[in-house]
Amino acid sequence: MFYNIVLYAALTVFGIGLIYKISGWFRFSIGIHAKNKTISARIPAALKGLIAVIFSQKLGTLIRVFIMDVLFQIRVLKNDKLRWLMHMLIYAGFMFLFFTHALDRVIPTSLFDRYYLKLNPFLLFSGCLVISGIAIAVYRRFILKVPRLKTNAMDQYVIILLAIIMLSGIALESTKLTSYNHYQKIWYIHILTCFLGLAYLPFSKMFHLFTTPASLLANSVMDKNSDPANIMTRQVMELDSCTHCGTCSFHCSVAVAFDSIGNENILPSERMTFLKDYITRKNINAQGLAAIQQGIYLCTNCDRCTINCPAGINLRDLWFNVREEMIQRGHSVSLMLTPFSFYRGLKQQELDPAQYDNPLHKAEKDLTDPFELVNKTEEIISLTPANREFKESADLSTRTGTYSYCFTCENCSTVCPVVGNYENPQEYLDLLPHQIIRSMGFGVKDLAMGSRMLWYCLTCYQCQEHCPQGVKVTDIFYELKNLAAKEASRSSE
Amino acid sequence: MKFALFLGCNIPVRVQQYELSARAVLDKLGIEVVENSEFKCCGNPIRNTDNKTFILMAARNLALAEKQGLDMMVLCKCCFGSLKKAAHLLKQNPSIQKEVNGMLAGEGLQYKGTSEVKHFLSVLYHDIGIHALKEKTTRSFKGIKIATHYGCHALRPSDITGFDNPVAPVLFDELVSATGAQSIDWPLKLECCGAPLLGVHDSLSMGVTERKIIDGKQAGADYLCVACPYCQMQFDTVQQMMVSAQKLNQSLPSIVFPQLLGLAMGIDGNSLGLSRHVLDISRLESFLE
Repeated sequence: MFYNIVLYAALTVFGIGLIYKISGWFRFSIGIHAKNKTISARIPAALKGLIAVIFSQKLGTLIRVFIMDVLFQIRVLKNDKLRWLMHMLIYAGFMFLFFTHALDRVIPTSLFDRYYLKLNPFLLFSGCLVISGIAIAVYRRFILKVPRLKTNAMDQYVIILLAIIMLSGIALESTKLTSYNHYQKIWYIHILTCFLGLAYLPFSKMFHLFTTPASLLANSVMDKNSDPANIMTRQVMELDSCTHCGTCSFHCSVAVAFDSIGNENILPSERMTFLKDYITRKNINAQGLAAIQQGIYLCTNCDRCTINCPAGINLRDLWFNVREEMIQRGHSVSLMLTPFSFYRGLKQQELDPAQYDNPLHKAEKDLTDPFELVNKTEEIISLTPANREFKESADLSTRTGTYSYCFTCENCSTVCPVVGNYENPQEYLDLLPHQIIRSMGFGVKDLAMGSRMLWYCLTCYQCQEHCPQGVKVTDIFYELKNLAAKEASRSSE
Repeated sequence: MKFALFLGCNIPVRVQQYELSARAVLDKLGIEVVENSEFKCCGNPIRNTDNKTFILMAARNLALAEKQGLDMMVLCKCCFGSLKKAAHLLKQNPSIQKEVNGMLAGEGLQYKGTSEVKHFLSVLYHDIGIHALKEKTTRSFKGIKIATHYGCHALRPSDITGFDNPVAPVLFDELVSATGAQSIDWPLKLECCGAPLLGVHDSLSMGVTERKIIDGKQAGADYLCVACPYCQMQFDTVQQMMVSAQKLNQSLPSIVFPQLLGLAMGIDGNSLGLSRHVLDISRLESFLE
């Protein structure tokens, strides 16, 4: 009686969870491609796509991916043998336990003799498999120091839940013959945790049992030309396929930046955690937005996350889509005025031309606006007292002090290809390179740091190479930009 | 001769012809390259806004090469310049070095400054030598005019990169000449390709590119020749964008140097990734004798 009540309760929660989560793939949307993709358009599009694939040559691809990547998890194996072993032990052992032990009343006796199942040498064997798997998981998460591998509450819950199920199972088997009293207590623990696991499954990362195969299969047959409605649905589903295994962050080209900046959103695995939560609520405070903006823009688009993701998630396209949504909102993103923007420039044809320049202009404005004097060309500048504090703060490196050698020969401005690009450069750049260097000499911070010239510098080092006085012009520009970016991030806090 | 190969972020996904052709050429020359999947971003893109993070990112790569006990061979000129710059700053500044090493210690790494950073072209020029290169060629180009594009971050700041004479470099021209091709003089040879501002200020970035293309064309070049993925993308993908948008009414396709060298060494076009370009370079092989 008790067993049945708990079983049906767990099954009900599981069923509702399943419906809630799967409907979420069609209800929630993500990124800039979200416009006009309603549920009523997405469900038929998904069905149409599914049928089209099943009745095409792509069926072969699906079968191959199912065997290689879903059953044998070749993608995990290629990445990390220990993790593959861990996952196979848990997955194979649990599958076996599920079919021969959990469903022992359902399995027809023609397949397995019931007595055989009760005696069950397999029970011991598969139990050992799962426990060794869990031991590896614990070792990997808590003992082995994998750089930048984050373990969140969900990862812990799942490991604890599995461990309780397994240990109580063993205790149950061993007390069966020795102590009925203990047996009964442990039976409750075992049954309750099993059903808790079942009920919790759709809401936890264990849901990847269904979604990761779905993602692997979907990505094997979908490409850029797939129906945008289906791409949207897939991207939402992909969030459920993420197991927070940390492979993307391990391979990420810029993950090292996290060590010095400390923003977790730089790590792709943590951005996925953020996005899972974000799509359901869509609201985010200013601080959170600034963190995700920086995290998602600090990316060289090297594709390593996508190439290595064991769940086959197309992270490249997901980032591109979400990045655009994030940078169009709230604060400006200083990182936009750096070579991190190269990829966006390369892909600009895929973006809305009416929106494309907005975040760039915003970043430019926020970085130069605090330095008002640049725009007051009629103002007379008092030369004394110079801003000593600024002059000293600009002495970041041994090379910056060279500004004082400048005798205004204007060589730097003459050889500058940016200056050379304009008929009337001051109109577009505010100050020319030699003027910026002179402003430093005078200690006029607003002029040294407020001109667009700094941010339009190609960093080609022509100025520095051609300076007869050895002024490290380009290096000085780098440091001024560093200072301006720091001030902008301070003022946005 | 053995190097740790540093590919950077762009080459493996967007400029694969550079990797293919460089590997093919290095293989023929008997230079061994050791892979290191742990190499990550060189730090260049973050220099504008966060110097400390830039140095950390570069130092981590340098420390990894040191751990392998190898000098680094870099294909990208922006990566090269950035790694050289960071190594310079680390050597100059013990307090930065200490701070960075503190952060690297978490991964069991330490920067000591024992590995050298070399660009691919420098290895060909200094470690192999023009004479030896010529001996390895089996075919020669004839009647082809190549406009060499030196690439800013290798050439300058010359006191740090030590690549070649910054005002009158010859290294790249001599390498091109070794294939039988004619390396032409053109006024904007040493100028920037425009790539650092793509996505930041497109009209300025493309304006710089446009002037170079027109100048190269006027000097009679058949092809631009580069040894950097950013320059190649700018002169290939971005030039095509400019042509499509009618911002440019002529085009000057670009190749990466190991493609030119590889063809002269008798390597087939497919192994050099000749089909992986956006602009048409099909005439290239017809210049072979």
